[in-house]
Amino acid sequence: MKNLDSVFAAYMAAWAIFFVYYVTIARRAAALRQDIERLKNSVTRGK
Amino acid sequence: MSLLPNAAVLLGKELRTEFRSRELLTTTVVFILIVLVLFSFTFTPTSDESRRFGPGLLWLAFLFAASLMLQPCFLREQQNDTLSALRLSVSDPFAIFLAKLAANTLFLLLTELLLLPFFALMYNVPVVPVLHWIIMVLFLGSLGISIVGTALSAISAQARMRELLLPLLMLPLLTPVLAASMEVTKGLFDRAPFVQWKGVGFLAVFDLVFLTALWLFGEYLLEE
Amino acid sequence: MGKNIVAAVCVFVLLGAAAYASFFIAPTDAKQGLIYRILFLHVASAWTGLTAFFICFVANLLYVWRRQPRWDWLGVSGGEVGLAFTTVVLVTGPIWAHPVWGIWWTWDARLTSTFVLWLLYASYLLLRTLIEEPDRRALLSALFGIFAFLDVPLVFGSIRWWRTQHPQPVVMGGPGSGLDPTMYKVLFFSWFAMLALMTLLLRQRYRLEAMRGEFETAQQEMETA
Repeated sequence: MKNLDSVFAAYMAAWAIFFVYYVTIARRAAALRQDIERLKNSVTRGK
Repeated sequence: MSLLPNAAVLLGKELRTEFRSRELLTTTVVFILIVLVLFSFTFTPTSDESRRFGPGLLWLAFLFAASLMLQPCFLREQQNDTLSALRLSVSDPFAIFLAKLAANTLFLLLTELLLLPFFALMYNVPVVPVLHWIIMVLFLGSLGISIVGTALSAISAQARMRELLLPLLMLPLLTPVLAASMEVTKGLFDRAPFVQWKGVGFLAVFDLVFLTALWLFGEYLLEE
Repeated sequence: MGKNIVAAVCVFVLLGAAAYASFFIAPTDAKQGLIYRILFLHVASAWTGLTAFFICFVANLLYVWRRQPRWDWLGVSGGEVGLAFTTVVLVTGPIWAHPVWGIWWTWDARLTSTFVLWLLYASYLLLRTLIEEPDRRALLSALFGIFAFLDVPLVFGSIRWWRTQHPQPVVMGGPGSGLDPTMYKVLFFSWFAMLALMTLLLRQRYRLEAMRGEFETAQQEMETA
């Protein structure tokens, strides 16, 4: 079947984009959770 | 309704400020001249080629010039801390926008009209037979550019990197104006000139939509 | 946590079903053969992107009206997720065009409009990074977001009217080419699956923004204390 590789490439590219985007959200959330921990620690230390 | 008299007073102030120094007008005119010369390097400016590429390049030059010219619009108020005074002086904040966009449209139109003879000479395009129609499309296009540009200038004045931000925000928003104005101008520069009324109507709709949006949301743009 | 996994699995199942339908249920196209099946991915992504931008628009309006932070959170989520889907449209477009026309990019009406759409919302997100104060950022980006969405029909209209005068390759086939009824069904099912994915991504992004909002408030309270 001609062009099967193009169709495949399209689907792979699309899923890659969604996956990468999902991963960036997860990464940012993890970094934020670290910052929150740091903030909490500085509050408890201050008390 | 005190909106129009207030706007008129503020418009007078804007015009007086500019005509005292004329720095905005002169720098904008020189800028567009430079752009027109640079454009001549990009293609062979024979009469036919100029009729094809001329309108697009002309409007592109106007768009770039506007994105620079509109920077000081609200920035000036911020730097001199006159924005709160302005807001207190009028009951309807839309008057401030009306005055500024009227002034900006006027300045843009003035620069464009000053440059039109240069463009006609440099690119061998006959402008005089269709002059009144050209003024009409220049007005409608400049009005659209001013409405959007004035609103976005209020936003960019409150952000970082504002010199780069204003063009970044303005240019994508104004692609419909570029497309429509260019087409109407192309029709007017044609060997058998005609008015593309679809384009004129579209520009009028664009101007109306964004003027209404500015009227509805303008006061929030000026919030402290 | 459990609910998240169930939701994600449901979305994957739906997407898998849509892909299956695109390959095996939709009939063959006489002119383009196999390659046209990208349509189900390309067009469904485009519609989903616009849906996300519409959600962003409504959230922007609600923020300007109500000033509640959660509308700002929903707005940026809609903008970002919409941009992701629009990126997929811009990537699958050339992958479709190249085997059919031999060129990677065609300035056809839909691709050009989609590119401008992408730039509009990239600017929206960029604007947000350039304003530090959270309330100011929320208000100004909401206002720009409203202007941007109002511009969308004007962009598509003007490009369709005036950028398609010259004969040029059209990615999705000219106005004459209609779709088989089965193709329509598969397309709508693909769109439905994409909307499920959009909802999943929106929820994750919203949660991130909500967490960030509360962090910033806590930070501010600490500084003033």
